[in-house]
Amino acid sequence: MRRTWKLPGGMRLANALCGGWTVLVILFLYFPIVFLVVYSFNSSRLNIVWESFTLKWYGELLGNARLVDAFINSVVIACSSTLLAVLLGTGGAWMLYRFRYRHSGIIETAAYLPMVVPEVIMGISLLVFFKSISLSLGYTTVILAHATFCFPFVMAAVRARLAGLDPSLEEAAMDLGAGPARAFFFVIVPYLMPAIAAGGLMAFALSLDEVIVSYFTTSAASITLPLRIYGMAKVGLNPMINALSTIFVAITAVILIVMEISRQKRRPAAGA
Amino acid sequence: MSTISITASGGSQARRAPGLMGWLLLMPMVLWLAAFVVIPTLILLVYSFCERGSFGEVVYSFTWENYVRALDWRYLKILLMSVWYAALTTAFCIVIGYPVAWFIARADVRLRSKLLLLIMLPFWISFLLRTYAWISLLKAEGVVSAFLQSASLITEPLSILYTPTAVIIGLVYAYLPFMILPIYSSAEKLDESVIEASQDLGAGAIRTFFKVILPLTWPGVSAGVLLVFVPAIGMFAITDLMGGARVPMVGNVIQAQFGAARNWPFGAALGICFLIIFVAVYALLRERESKA
Amino acid sequence: MIEHPTMKTTRPLIVAAMLAVAPFASAKELNLFAWSEYIPQSVIDGFTEETGIKVNYETYDSNEAMIAKLVGGGGEYDLIQPSEYAVEALAQAGRLEVIDRANVPNFANLSPQYLDQPFDAGNKFSVPYMVGTVGIAVNTEKVKEPVAGYADFFSDKYKGRLVVLDDGREIVSWALAAKGRSINDITAETLAEVKPLIASWLKNVKLFDSASPKTALLNGEVDMGIVWSGEGAILVQEDAKFAYILPKEGAHMFIDSLCIPKGAKNKAAAEAFINYILKPEVSKIISDEFPYTNPNLEARKLLTEEQLKNGASYPAAGKLETFKEIGEVSSLIDDLITELKSDL
Repeated sequence: MRRTWKLPGGMRLANALCGGWTVLVILFLYFPIVFLVVYSFNSSRLNIVWESFTLKWYGELLGNARLVDAFINSVVIACSSTLLAVLLGTGGAWMLYRFRYRHSGIIETAAYLPMVVPEVIMGISLLVFFKSISLSLGYTTVILAHATFCFPFVMAAVRARLAGLDPSLEEAAMDLGAGPARAFFFVIVPYLMPAIAAGGLMAFALSLDEVIVSYFTTSAASITLPLRIYGMAKVGLNPMINALSTIFVAITAVILIVMEISRQKRRPAAGA
Repeated sequence: MSTISITASGGSQARRAPGLMGWLLLMPMVLWLAAFVVIPTLILLVYSFCERGSFGEVVYSFTWENYVRALDWRYLKILLMSVWYAALTTAFCIVIGYPVAWFIARADVRLRSKLLLLIMLPFWISFLLRTYAWISLLKAEGVVSAFLQSASLITEPLSILYTPTAVIIGLVYAYLPFMILPIYSSAEKLDESVIEASQDLGAGAIRTFFKVILPLTWPGVSAGVLLVFVPAIGMFAITDLMGGARVPMVGNVIQAQFGAARNWPFGAALGICFLIIFVAVYALLRERESKA
Repeated sequence: MIEHPTMKTTRPLIVAAMLAVAPFASAKELNLFAWSEYIPQSVIDGFTEETGIKVNYETYDSNEAMIAKLVGGGGEYDLIQPSEYAVEALAQAGRLEVIDRANVPNFANLSPQYLDQPFDAGNKFSVPYMVGTVGIAVNTEKVKEPVAGYADFFSDKYKGRLVVLDDGREIVSWALAAKGRSINDITAETLAEVKPLIASWLKNVKLFDSASPKTALLNGEVDMGIVWSGEGAILVQEDAKFAYILPKEGAHMFIDSLCIPKGAKNKAAAEAFINYILKPEVSKIISDEFPYTNPNLEARKLLTEEQLKNGASYPAAGKLETFKEIGEVSSLIDDLITELKSDL
């Protein structure tokens, strides 16, 4: 229970300054994004002077088979790796919570490792691994790689939620005759849903945006959108990238706002 | 697992010793970790002691030469520079991000979630796209240059692109949300009565900050450092795009070994060195945290 | 809902199922691994339309990167586009398939001038794609003085106004030429000899770019660049203020070829693609978009006079040399350039 508290003078000033600073930072964060969006409608190629309003870059974008293919690849890969990540992360978190394994400390550290290990290291180590088991690069390797560094995020989210789990919940289910499996699926999982959803969304976003790990584990057929963009950005500036950014911004904004509204609906008064 | 034994143990059932079933069910995750985390690292370690074939592939004969070369001054220098840039980036992220995290944590509950949303939205948009935006903005004939020139703040076209400054801007921009969020979650848990107590005891705002607030939010800051510092060292994509391939960072050099420079064993050795740094930083942060 | 013991035991099954249905190369696919900015999308689309074969086009911007991916690991490609010394290296290592000339009748369209080269006698493994040079592009509006070669290019008055290729082998070759040596004379000693020269040169470079050096020139970020001849030709076409010259000390002439890596799964598709490229109309499209020196005589008949007069595409005689394979010494070049770049 938090009560709002009166800030003593010095702190009040500090808080106001922080507030102003926050506004500046938010402007800084959005300046390039707004720029991208605005210039995606600019008919000039050069991203400098405003010429006239046009939608032609969007047309070019959607007609560019390579980009569209890459986008589809990215979505397929993101969905698959998110599915794997959710399964691994939820299962792992639950098992570690439920039972007191002998080496749980080590197992947990190992599980969180992919989250913090630098992507370059992950990329090259997975590349040498796939090479040594003669698995050729493609969708499979990318999905496995993505799932590996995404699942710790799901696990962390589910773990956090499990911390607030009322143990009598599972007990009650079992008292009513459910076996541990049914108790898990019909009682625990619904409870964990918000965390699974949050973790899954995080995993999806990370997979969609991943460049470095994909760079080492992909092939021509399964090339992802960020890698295509990387290639395009190196070759030069192209308003199609602006158009792409705008679409991303729009989709992301919609998703996040919808998530926020549904969260508010569930718990109207409480905050975080 | 009979229902009887479960109800009998009551509340402590959450941390029972696992039976066969328990281990079996954990196996998939353990196997996954073994296959995709542990074994690859071990293979990397093995490769780092191997020799280089004519095309840069691995030849299984033991040699120290990769590590000797990695610790050679020219590569050590690159490593140190990368660490320096990453440290600068982290420092900027802390300085810029901390007040923001603090403000959001102290803000009114409804405002808080909206502010968090605002901070998170850019993170969700591919960092490549945002970096690309900066390239457009910062180029000599770009918008920022034109603006600064017309405001007479600079006399010639802006030549900030393809310099280390541009790289730092790119890195800070990409990693800022990773610093703000952990600090926020730490600051949010802060019990304000501690601050009140500190002020009751006569400490001014500044002393309160350094002696009370900062140490208590240290877990958040160290989580942020871990999420920013080490990845920034290896982030070759931003360095490549904003640095004009002029600024070789460790990430670029490692990537090159698996690419144009064609030397897998050396790349593996550099990777292992990098990994050691990471482990050291991680251990250091964990130790400070447990002391706090 | 699921009644049998938890999902965890079915998880491996799910993974296996996913791996099984994950898309794998179908019979009607071509995995193309080529230089960026070298094969027009319209040509690829035209090929797919004519033959129904889907083309997966992955790019690289240096021969070394291509070889690394091909040999070092993982990449499975049906068609690659190496430069002359890379063909030599790969052929010697037995990494290339012999091209069945019966499947490539349009081979007859090629000019004998670029055939039967020392790196591939009889053209067993390679078919020339495009020929070019590496030269100096100058924005004559910004640079009024005459620039004849590397010495002029890298002079201190142009500090911060230069773009050069991000290619260690190339950079070293310019320094060797400037010192009057053959561009293939690469040993530890010669590298030590040119090191100070390169060090002084690199300080004046604003950025390194092999993917598309013309971009920085068009943007006005730089005033001069050492670029591929095709890029130089585009610059010249784009704006008359650009000029392309071959350095007087000597320049690299490259012959880029199409080759089929050993073990390629879609060899027939690859040969069909090569044959398609050699069609005069198709080759003309490539020349239109990437104006390098076209070795296809039939295609040259279809080009405009302006295109044939472009000094960057079809240079007058100059001091030109191709690259030879140097083997292990290439790691010395990497060390050198990495060291010098980190000193910047």
